[in-house]
Amino acid sequence: MNKKYEERRKEVLEKLKELGGTIVNQINQEKGPYIEIPVRSLSNIEFDEERMRLKLGEKKAKRSFLNVAHTRKFMQTLLVASFAKDLVTQGLHTSLRDMYYALKRTIPGTKENTFEEQTESDAVVVDLEVAEDILREEIHLNADVRGRVVGDVTIVDRGDEVDWSKLGSGGWAIPSNVEDIEFKEVNADYILVVEKNAAFERMHEDKFWKKENMILVTTQGQAARGVRRLIHRLAYEHNLPVIVFTDADAYGWYIYSVIKWGSMNLAHVSEKLGTPKAKFVGLSISDIDRYNLHNYTIKAKEGDVKRARELLQYPWFQRKEWQEELKLMIKKGYKAELEALSGKGLRFMTNTYLPEKIEHKDFLP
Amino acid sequence: MAEKAETLFKAFREHSVAEFFKKNRQMLGYSGKIRSMTTIVHEYVTNSLDACEEAGILPEIKVEIDQLGPEYYRVSVEDNGPGIPKKHMGKVFGKMLAGTKFHRFMQQRGQQGIGAAGCTMYSQITTGKPVRVTTSTGNGMIYECSIMIDVKKNEPVISDEKEYPGTMRGTRVIGDFKEVKYVNGEYGPYEYLRRTAVANPHAKIVFRDPDGNRHVWERATDTLPAIPKPSKPHPYGLTAHDLLEYVNSTKSRSLRGAFIQTFDRMSSAKVKEIEELTGIDFNRRPDSLTWEEAAEIVDAIKKVKFMAPSTKNLYPIGADQIEKAILNVLKPEFHAVTTRPPNVYRGGVPFIVEAGIAFGGEAGKKTNGSRKMELMRFANRAPLLFDAGADVITKVVNEIDWKRYGIRDAENIPLTIVVNITSTYIPYTSAGKQAIADEEEIHKEIKLALQEVARKTSIHISRRAREKEKAEKKKTLVKYIPEIAGALEKLTGANKKEIEKNLLKIVSVKYKEWEEGEENEELEKLEKAAVKEDIEEGAIGETNE
Repeated sequence: MNKKYEERRKEVLEKLKELGGTIVNQINQEKGPYIEIPVRSLSNIEFDEERMRLKLGEKKAKRSFLNVAHTRKFMQTLLVASFAKDLVTQGLHTSLRDMYYALKRTIPGTKENTFEEQTESDAVVVDLEVAEDILREEIHLNADVRGRVVGDVTIVDRGDEVDWSKLGSGGWAIPSNVEDIEFKEVNADYILVVEKNAAFERMHEDKFWKKENMILVTTQGQAARGVRRLIHRLAYEHNLPVIVFTDADAYGWYIYSVIKWGSMNLAHVSEKLGTPKAKFVGLSISDIDRYNLHNYTIKAKEGDVKRARELLQYPWFQRKEWQEELKLMIKKGYKAELEALSGKGLRFMTNTYLPEKIEHKDFLP
Repeated sequence: MAEKAETLFKAFREHSVAEFFKKNRQMLGYSGKIRSMTTIVHEYVTNSLDACEEAGILPEIKVEIDQLGPEYYRVSVEDNGPGIPKKHMGKVFGKMLAGTKFHRFMQQRGQQGIGAAGCTMYSQITTGKPVRVTTSTGNGMIYECSIMIDVKKNEPVISDEKEYPGTMRGTRVIGDFKEVKYVNGEYGPYEYLRRTAVANPHAKIVFRDPDGNRHVWERATDTLPAIPKPSKPHPYGLTAHDLLEYVNSTKSRSLRGAFIQTFDRMSSAKVKEIEELTGIDFNRRPDSLTWEEAAEIVDAIKKVKFMAPSTKNLYPIGADQIEKAILNVLKPEFHAVTTRPPNVYRGGVPFIVEAGIAFGGEAGKKTNGSRKMELMRFANRAPLLFDAGADVITKVVNEIDWKRYGIRDAENIPLTIVVNITSTYIPYTSAGKQAIADEEEIHKEIKLALQEVARKTSIHISRRAREKEKAEKKKTLVKYIPEIAGALEKLTGANKKEIEKNLLKIVSVKYKEWEEGEENEELEKLEKAAVKEDIEEGAIGETNE
């Protein structure tokens, strides 16, 4: 472990102790103890136009022991904090699910559990991250593992050298914590991020990444923290452009927006997870006309339209191009998946669509 | 002409009452099998209570009902009253004296005048059997006989007389009845007696139902109610017919004398005013008054100012006595009672409204294990079980916005509402005498009485809800303390026991603050609501006497 890492470890431990210490002091002074936590609701999420990312506003809420609506969460926050302290002290890593089971127990004299659902403990972890300005990874809690990558890149992970170009059909599975990954050699002109695993496999089969000299990443749905952090690091540490490729619907476009500007849930860490320079290559609703994909569209469901209307309201979707796309989708009432391109032939995506669009820098902002 | 009417009326009274009964039994409470059964119990129990009270005896009444066959029952009612002298036996049980009570303008339970003789008649019609009566005045001799009625003559027929020495005081009557049905519900004898106990805390009532279950309502007070005295009718509210009836029933030789003697608040000065208004000579004999003249006088009376009627002959149950009865019979968790000041309806009839509310305990109507709201209506202490829909009390109860008093889902909570109307003349809606008419003044008084007890109940209910809420809040806080203390010990190394102790202290200090603050706030709020309500109802700035 490097020195910087060791310093940060001490800092995190100190923060956790201080959190406990403040509360013990309040209790000793016979004051109702509370924890101050920045508000994470939409009302406190701002879009930083200049730096192109979502960030948390100034609003803070007291989580107070004496407020019966807060008491349970107050207790849960302290349980998670003390668990985190144990993990960091002992140098152990674990998943959110493990933590949930480790902390779940019946409160004596009741039929109530300390945590009923994992969503409760997950939420408290985020609260703690925000309140103490620490990353989940820094308290040794691993996020979901999702996402894979291939490309002409060699890294060092826990002492092992891994060459992303020599990992067969599966590619490298991106871990939840990529903080300690060291990039030894990176040969690429850009990064292509695709939402769908199927598209990833199709391109990998054709060695499309080699032809294009790029790094190919799949998020496998909504991008997990590990993927987002990896994209961020590669993009900035190695100055690579990022191109995102998703389904033509509100959910796909939101995946793009999370990669680019950060998510509402994790607005507090957008700085580390967001990649504002990312660009959107497709699929867009206007592509359907341009590439004559009408035979392969899907009728938009009520939920799709509702979600699109929500995106229309978000400050970070106010760009003219996005407003047009969203309105077009609502107007036309259809959406399309990446696979729609296969309707024009299995290699249409890799031989025609992507090279054409990338060459002409035909992107959405 | 008036003389002729009097003779006719007399003839009607003496000779055709029994026939009349046979044809019009539904008017006298004998309509339907269930109601007939309750009427029988009502007539006997009412007679017993009246007899005891008049003799200054604390009543103890025993009611037994046995089933003899389908819709065929034996009813036995026994009291510890003064007993009935042998010579009066026939009159009480074997002669129908309709109309006699009409002349007694006084507060009494029954206003029927048919009473026990009606039961004899019903037994006779349905089974052909006499009723059997045992009585003693406590003089060491017991007298027993069977009584029937000669329907044509309206005269008692007494048989199987027995007289023997023995120690007993009181009266027992046993009758067999068909076309009756015993039910346990709200129209049956059990409910009738339960309610009688609520309105008569000075009585002990023992009941054995046809299934052999024994119910006892113990006496809640040793204070006998005052015996109502007949009072004079007030001039306001009289009709020409009433006027003729009243003046002809006095021994006075002049109209002036008859007026002063008969009517409340009537003086020679007032008679003079009427004389001047009508031009009628009040020195004339009372029986010379014609219907037309009577009608003229009634009109004139409206122009004369009379003092409000005297209310001294009204004897309400009394708030303290109702309270005792409610505690005794309903064993509630909370109760509130009130007796309103006397008021007058139709300008001339005095009345008093009393109301009580009982919450929790055995209050409320029992239904499949849960309890629902019940309304107990009384007129001069006698329970009214039937025709609830037509009664002004029911109407007012439905008008009240119970939610306003924190009584949510009023239909489904263990709540008993008691309303008793005391009056020298209860304005029933029909001859069945089970529903009180919607007289404006009575309506208003009932409303004020119910609002008063509802407010008191509301304080209790909200306090109860608040206490429950507080206890739950406290429990919520306390149950998390060990987990919190444990986590803090891990985080900081502070002592877990010490943290727990301090947290508990913080919780109890917090709760004391809440208690004091909220209590005052609540009372203030209710006080304001009460004043607002009284202004709306127009009760402020108005006197009742």
